[in-house]
Amino acid sequence: MAPGPDPNSVGDGAKRDEATTKVPSKDPKKKDDKKEEDLSEEDLQLKQNLELYVERVQDPNPELQKAALESMRQEIRASTSSMTSVPKPLKFLRPHYGTLKEFHKNMAESDLKKLLADILSVLALTMSAEGERESLGYRLTGSEGDIGSWGHEYVRNLAGEIAEEYTVRQGEESSIEDLMDLVQQIVAFHMKHNAETEAVDLLMDVEDLDLLLEHVDRTNFRRTCNYLTSAAKYLPGPDDMLVLDIAYMIYIKFEEYPNALQIALFLDNMQYVKQVFTSCTDLLRKKQFCYMISRHGITFELDPEMVENDVDREMLQDIVNNTKLSEGYLTLARDIEVMEAKTPEDIYKAHLLDGRASSGPSADSARQNLAATFVNAFVNAGFGQDKLMTVPSDSTSGSAGNWLFKNKEHGKTSAAASLGMILLWDVDAGLTHLDKYFHTNDNPIIAGALLGVGIVNCGIKNDCDPALALLGEYIDKEDSSVRIGAIMGLGIAYAGSQNDQIKSSLSPILNDAKAPLDVIAFAALSLGMIYVGSCNEEVAQSIIFALMDRSEAELGEALTRFLPLGLGLLYLGKQESVEATAEVSKTFNEKIRKYCDMTLLSCAYAGTGNVLKVQDLLAQCGEHLEKGDNHQGPAVLGLAMVAMSEELGLDMAIRSLERVLQYGEQNVRRAVPLALGLLCISNPKVTVMDTLSRLSHDTDSEVAMSAIISLGLIGAGTNNARIAGMLRNLSSYYYKDASLLFCVRIAQGLVHMGKGLLTLSPFHSERLLLSPTALAGIVTLLHACLDMKSIILGKYHFVLYFLVLAMQPRMMLTVDENLKPISVPVRVGQAVDVVGQAGRPKTITGFQTHSTPVLLAAGERAELATDKYIPLSPILEGFIILKENPDYREE
Amino acid sequence: MLTVSVKWQKKVFEGIEIDVTLPPYVFKAQLYDLTGVPPERQKIMVKGGLLKDDADWSAIGVKDGQKLMMMGTADEIVKAPEKAIVFAEDLPEEEQATNLGYSAGLVNLGNTCYMNSTVQCLKSVPELKSALSNYSLAGRSNDVDQTSHMLTVATRELFGDLDRSVNAVSPTQFWMTLRKKFPQFSQLQNGMHMQQDAEECWTQLLYTLSQSLKAPASSEDSDAVKALFGVNLRSRVHCQESGEESSETESVYSLKCHISHEVNHLHEGLKHGLKGELEKTSPALGRTAVYLKESLIDSLPRYLTVQFVRFFWKRETNQKAKILRKVDYPLELDIFDLCSEDLRKKLEAPRQKLRDEEGKKLGLQPKSSSKDIDVKMTDAEAPSSNEGGESSTAGQQEGASSSSEKGTHMTGIYDLVTVLTHKGRSADSGHYVAWVKQESGKWIQYDDSHPSIQREEDITKLSGGGDWHMAYIIMYKARFVSM
Repeated sequence: MAPGPDPNSVGDGAKRDEATTKVPSKDPKKKDDKKEEDLSEEDLQLKQNLELYVERVQDPNPELQKAALESMRQEIRASTSSMTSVPKPLKFLRPHYGTLKEFHKNMAESDLKKLLADILSVLALTMSAEGERESLGYRLTGSEGDIGSWGHEYVRNLAGEIAEEYTVRQGEESSIEDLMDLVQQIVAFHMKHNAETEAVDLLMDVEDLDLLLEHVDRTNFRRTCNYLTSAAKYLPGPDDMLVLDIAYMIYIKFEEYPNALQIALFLDNMQYVKQVFTSCTDLLRKKQFCYMISRHGITFELDPEMVENDVDREMLQDIVNNTKLSEGYLTLARDIEVMEAKTPEDIYKAHLLDGRASSGPSADSARQNLAATFVNAFVNAGFGQDKLMTVPSDSTSGSAGNWLFKNKEHGKTSAAASLGMILLWDVDAGLTHLDKYFHTNDNPIIAGALLGVGIVNCGIKNDCDPALALLGEYIDKEDSSVRIGAIMGLGIAYAGSQNDQIKSSLSPILNDAKAPLDVIAFAALSLGMIYVGSCNEEVAQSIIFALMDRSEAELGEALTRFLPLGLGLLYLGKQESVEATAEVSKTFNEKIRKYCDMTLLSCAYAGTGNVLKVQDLLAQCGEHLEKGDNHQGPAVLGLAMVAMSEELGLDMAIRSLERVLQYGEQNVRRAVPLALGLLCISNPKVTVMDTLSRLSHDTDSEVAMSAIISLGLIGAGTNNARIAGMLRNLSSYYYKDASLLFCVRIAQGLVHMGKGLLTLSPFHSERLLLSPTALAGIVTLLHACLDMKSIILGKYHFVLYFLVLAMQPRMMLTVDENLKPISVPVRVGQAVDVVGQAGRPKTITGFQTHSTPVLLAAGERAELATDKYIPLSPILEGFIILKENPDYREE
Repeated sequence: MLTVSVKWQKKVFEGIEIDVTLPPYVFKAQLYDLTGVPPERQKIMVKGGLLKDDADWSAIGVKDGQKLMMMGTADEIVKAPEKAIVFAEDLPEEEQATNLGYSAGLVNLGNTCYMNSTVQCLKSVPELKSALSNYSLAGRSNDVDQTSHMLTVATRELFGDLDRSVNAVSPTQFWMTLRKKFPQFSQLQNGMHMQQDAEECWTQLLYTLSQSLKAPASSEDSDAVKALFGVNLRSRVHCQESGEESSETESVYSLKCHISHEVNHLHEGLKHGLKGELEKTSPALGRTAVYLKESLIDSLPRYLTVQFVRFFWKRETNQKAKILRKVDYPLELDIFDLCSEDLRKKLEAPRQKLRDEEGKKLGLQPKSSSKDIDVKMTDAEAPSSNEGGESSTAGQQEGASSSSEKGTHMTGIYDLVTVLTHKGRSADSGHYVAWVKQESGKWIQYDDSHPSIQREEDITKLSGGGDWHMAYIIMYKARFVSM
């Protein structure tokens, strides 16, 4: 039916062959006519024929006219397939376009006129002046025959003109009905011919994506949705939401629930999530959904409507509540054989620095012990065992107690809390270990134990709410370190939960005139985390009042930055919803006003890739300010937050930051390494690594510190040997500078985080979804790093534990229908972008075959290497339930 | 009556009955029986908080069949250690300095790097330090002139300052006295003090110290400096023409490593330096004749100093030119074959002992220990055998030779401890730097006021052959073996 390219071109070739065999010598003709020197015999023939047709079309005899038009159509159709050059018939008809047009105008209404209009419409493809849309015009007056019969190029051109015409008519507010008929035809044509992308483009242009639903079928819906979701990243709001809505509906239509759920989560539309559950009847698949929701880190309650059976619902809720995360993680660890606890010395590898700093100083350095505490916590995170904190304390040496007391004052807080990190996600064991610290009368230790309880419960929900029950008691204690421990613990344990009870106990602190600044700052931050991305008015009000109540001096304090940040977190990724609050923030004291403005803007547009906001923020970074203005730091971080969502924007941001680094002021330069760290978190790109390595030797020690921490962030959980080497060399380079050495140690701990099984990347599900709590954790740390000296190197080093919110195993663990781990072969390789590619392109390249559980590095994708099982989710990350393939036959 | 299940650690206790008429304390007592956790340490989570001992069950709203969670252990409560831990950050500044494991640098007072590096090298000799500390301010013997005395005192003060300070020390006093004693160091060029030859400074300073540290008894033996650095040479002077032969002994503070085009290694240079030709009147021939002088070491010093003769006077340019030739030197030097027959005999037994000990450390039987392995492994053993030597250094003022009755013996094997390097093309220009091995085994580069840690393999790379720092004066420390 459609002029497939092949038959035609073959026909063409055959004809040409005939022609050349008939007349081997063309020379005489060429000499005759210089103008047509290049034409072959056959072409000349064609040309003469066409000229004849044109003449005959103008003949008064309708019979002759018709015959001529038919022949002309025949010639054109036979050749429209070629895309590389203008088809010959069209070329030869070019000079006659005007004549034919003129003739058409004067023709009486008839079938013949329509026929001529058809031909003119095709001719207009090459002849029509830009913007005239003659092709479309003639098409509309033409015979409305099968649109595809004129070839692909014609359809494509028509689509373009329709889009233009549509915009014009929108302006004039005239009817578009005739256009939509054509659109219907074109979309149908495209969808049938593997050109889903063009169909989608056209529909987006005419703003009628709903049409798509009628035309997708089993064969093309995947490609269509794939294109829709990828295109959404580059569309301005609210079009992007619309596009995703359509994609969601298509997925639901074809019962591709995991993808539908993915989009529902992306849209943060709980109604859709619910719909996925109610539409699906298969319990096993619902389990898979629960795993996906748990990875996203949101609080989600299943109700009887979604799962009828109580027992089933409880089991599913357990999955959503992440109660099995620890088990799965330990399965992975055992499989990879990394259960053996590591000491900080195993990480420092000082013996590789022969001679240098190998024999440490004789006395314990509190700073270095604190660093070791963090390294120990990060490296052994979630493994439930280590060599400093969990060693059984015997009465003689009492090593567990001993290490705790090798930390000084506030250092003990971090040391006690590190136990929470080591027993991460294992609530029962964690609480058991932490219990003994509740009974001392040493406030920093109690604070650490409270924080530890929060860390253990990070991302885990439990019916008994142990974190709330325990920490709630301490919120209003006398000692501010204990209060901070409890408040921060609650923030970590209940991030994203929007728990009213906590709100009602934390909000009063914000407006308590007697509360010290640090308690207020952490309360604001915790509320921001608990209500992350919720746009909760009440919380926003409380924080705004708290900000307004601060005195001039307090606004200059380093910790004050957590108030605007807490406010910003409420609007994380919520775009325009922030505007009302942003207006209010303009009334703040000028010391904090711009800082607040930048923080709100960057949080609200975090992960959206909004180019306009990136430009706004870049403009802020470019300014050269008077002393004392500190809002450029958050602006630089904001740049990274907004741009981090998709690859292109990310690369552009990295390049822009390179410029900022060269021309920016010192306070901008200090934030640049942190922004780079955020952009490539747990994704050590070599170019960024080199930039950071260079900056880590910067003469400005704060730039160097940020760069070192960022080296840790980009390598977090990767065990990257190159970064590890760089940091080792830095440790000997900075062996005399305690502060820098502390940063190097922290970075070393981060690189070997979870012995290489963890990631900090807030993105998951093939980089589509952004976990809001994870981003909140990272952003908080980065904001704290903007004033390294007073926060992380001061006595609030435990803010480093906010990273726990972003820590997730970078694994793919396959489980059978009873959720028991099973090992199957999988191919793991570099993910390939297959958007808009026809056919079934390979989705990974350079793969290796492993058996599950496997680790997935940044930019890697897995696929099953066996047909024996069918995965219940197409996105092979985290927990994947496998179903036996009924059609599988042993070979 | 309610029935609940209680989760504690990983265990779940099913079917525990609660009598709602009794206070929760009773319930806790029930749990105490099951878990062994005393009631006061039990934390039971109920909706909205912890279960209080005197709470009202009806107000809490526990339902039948509900799962409760209990936290608590019977573990010992963490106690602070009785002895508070002392942190480096809390220590006074001086103690922090010792914590670093090396002492401070010296401020460059304007082309004084030759002096700074010399001082740093000599300071690394603990025996010299202790000898200086015994030197009394008043106890100036008559045969020491005032300037020498002042220089000695200044040296002592400077060494003390260096040990105490964290930050770089300014050696102003020392420099003044040095210039007073040796006016040649006060040369000016363009209004600046000129760069000087470190070797000259080294030799002069040592000479001064050896004069002033001589015990009042002024006997040869009590010369502390000589005991530490002095090398006795026995030379055979031989005239080929006449066949005359005589022998003479002399004492020097350093061996010279002559650098000619066939010298690639320190050992060759030393051998070269111990052989010489001299012209003197031969009584037998009645005219001046060429005598061959061959020296051998007769007694070994505790610290063997080797000077690379890198500078020679170039007449055409009128300055001391430098030989850039690469001359390798080992971290461990064996000078057995430069020793005289007598000394060799004395050394044999201790050397055998040393070999055996090292063999044992390698897990070999004493007999099967071959020398090959020893040489290979001594690198790693060096610090440990050093310690053995140091433990016996206290009070070893006397007896340069190993024949002391203390029970420790020289072995003829030396370990590299300091390297004084020069960078640049002539002795009076360029830059001098000291590289000193610490007791901890670490190498520290003292580049004026900046001490920095170096790797051992980089130390042997200072052997010349380019424009990098190259060794000019190096000092070895004797390795002892106790018998």
